[in-house]
Amino acid sequence: MTAIPPTSPLPIDNSCRLPLFTLFGGAAVWLALSSGFGLIATLKFHAPAMFANCASLSYGRAFPAWSHLLVYGFCLPAGLGVGLWLLARLGRVELAQPWLIAVGAKLWHLGVLVGLIGILAGQSTGFEWFELPRAAAVILFLAFLLITMWGFVTYTRRTQASLYPSQWFVLAALLWFPWIFSTATLLLQIFPVRGLVQASVAWWFSGNLINVWLTLAGLASTFYVLPKLTGRPLQSHYLALFAFWTLMLFGTWTGIPAHAALPAWMPTLSGAARVLMLIPALTVGASVILTCRGVKTPCAGGPLCYTKFGAACLVLASVLLAISACPQVSRITDYTWFDHGQNTLRIYGFFAMTMFGAIYHIVPHLVGPDRVCPRWMRINFWFVMPGTLLLALPLVLGGVAQGLKLVDASVPFVAVAKSTLMALRISTLGETMLALGNLIFLFNIVGAIVSYYCSVGKAAYTEATALEPARVKA
Amino acid sequence: MNAEAKQPSPVRPESEPTSAATTVPMWLIAGLLGLLFLGAWYFDARGGWFEAKVYAPYLSLADVQRFQPRTGGPEDVILRGKVLFEQNCALCHNPDGLGKPAQAPPLAGSEWVLAAGVNRLIRIPQLGLSGPIEVKGQVWNLPMAAMGVAYSDDDLAAVLSYIRNAWGNKASIVAGEQVKKVRAELGGRNQPYSPDELKKEAE
Ligand code: HEC
Repeated sequence: MTAIPPTSPLPIDNSCRLPLFTLFGGAAVWLALSSGFGLIATLKFHAPAMFANCASLSYGRAFPAWSHLLVYGFCLPAGLGVGLWLLARLGRVELAQPWLIAVGAKLWHLGVLVGLIGILAGQSTGFEWFELPRAAAVILFLAFLLITMWGFVTYTRRTQASLYPSQWFVLAALLWFPWIFSTATLLLQIFPVRGLVQASVAWWFSGNLINVWLTLAGLASTFYVLPKLTGRPLQSHYLALFAFWTLMLFGTWTGIPAHAALPAWMPTLSGAARVLMLIPALTVGASVILTCRGVKTPCAGGPLCYTKFGAACLVLASVLLAISACPQVSRITDYTWFDHGQNTLRIYGFFAMTMFGAIYHIVPHLVGPDRVCPRWMRINFWFVMPGTLLLALPLVLGGVAQGLKLVDASVPFVAVAKSTLMALRISTLGETMLALGNLIFLFNIVGAIVSYYCSVGKAAYTEATALEPARVKA
Repeated sequence: MNAEAKQPSPVRPESEPTSAATTVPMWLIAGLLGLLFLGAWYFDARGGWFEAKVYAPYLSLADVQRFQPRTGGPEDVILRGKVLFEQNCALCHNPDGLGKPAQAPPLAGSEWVLAAGVNRLIRIPQLGLSGPIEVKGQVWNLPMAAMGVAYSDDDLAAVLSYIRNAWGNKASIVAGEQVKKVRAELGGRNQPYSPDELKKEAE
């Protein structure tokens, strides 16, 4: 809370460059690929015969490939990259062992690739958001540890002793993932527990991953980018603290769906926790509004815009989560498109958007300010923002309509399935816009990295050639 | 490294964000407490207090037990009999005890079921029945297997008590002791009775 004299970020940025390029570059590639699979999956609703003779591209594999690449390919590396940057910048210290972190990042991408191949080959585990086969899970775990370790070393070496809220969120995220991921891997893949216990472990894991981990990593960025770009102090330390503890306290219980065939206390507790998740969400909303109040900084499709939209989606998704926890509502929305819509709103609308904002804020520091074209960054925003809404909201509304028909015994099942087609059509449109937006993101990020290395190479070349005559004379 | 030092990152010093010390507004705390209260109430109402046997739609252990057949007073015996009847006899005699055409005669209002003594009745599920039988003025001639032979004394008594007291039937409860006595009398017999032979036994 005390003012700290500005420091030159140059050495810090230099130390972050290699690992962040590796994390962000890979994330951008996986994200674009993930939308490719997403498109294939959603097109199956309209043209079921498409790729019908290719088992790897059947819905049952394309859909898990989409979710696997989205979460493990994009979300985690992006969140890690932003987290490492925050630890270095806020600790006013160079990143520890950037080379080893880069190796960890490569290992991570290898794990994602192994997982993707496994899923396409039909080796998916069948647990939602945890489809990757065992080998991939082990690689990802080791890679995460390698990266996290140096994140913690960076943290302990910090020269700025007092902590800024974003740092708590990053540290919690760095600890949270190994905990939940190792538990899920051990209990589902290595020493599988029996029967329904498997389902409860898988639900617990995915609830923690999506409702807690993504929120921790996303908010670390929100709480940094907003005050940084608006030039105002974060409102406030205590609001952030409140959101931090309530999020972890309630979020970890949220996974079990209302109609799970488990002893009643499990879904009931989960339902209560999902309603309580309103508290951190509203806190974040209040904090964002108070921080940005009266700020004249233009938003204009830049990082600020992405971050604010992300926060709005977090609040909206949390409201939907809370509503669907009420038994009267879940009676209708369970087993429909509703949950999927809510999840996509959270993953794309909140997390991915927040990460886009953070990455568009960070990358210019690494490559130089003029290498990311602001116009293309804006265009990217105008693809992914409407794309997200068109993807998620029809699923949410269509899910309600579908549920109302499902509980009506006089409507045949096929009629129910057919009636969701309109919502699916709109969401296919949204998925297409998102895919285009993700391609633009890929070109922006990879373009910036490539153009940076080109200029470094050119500079080295001119330097070398400029020395030549001098040496000759000597 | 030399080349990197020349890269065009902004070299001017940058300050990192700070956070203000405004406290958490009262409405958030009130909201938290309100939702906590609601959550606790909701859990109390439906959570079954961590009881592993309670599944939705049941609300508590007491709720589950209310629907369990128990052994105790006559109502409990009849409840237990209902469960067994619906598992084993209802297939032919129908859950409403009215029987099924060309499959099994009715039990509701049947003079065989409502007889004052149960000496004959016990023998029917114990050994089965074949041969022409008149029930409520209609003659049936179909075989019935020994559907009750595997029951314990108490369970067979419970089924019979149930059919004697369901669907408007009203007759005495059958005791496990009575079943035991009849079974002892039958010795090793495993051939089904015919209704005519049955009539020779005491009621
Ligand atoms: C496979 C079909 C079937 C099942 C199962 C069955 N019954 Fe029967 N039951 C019959 C038939 C057929 C008769 C008539 C036999 C005859 O024609 O001699 C009959 C006759 C009877 C009668 C005498 C006639 C009457 O209507 O009062 C009683 C009592 C009876 N069953 C009780 C039971 C009980 C108790 C059970 C379960 C433990 C049972 N039955 C299960 C087919 C069945």
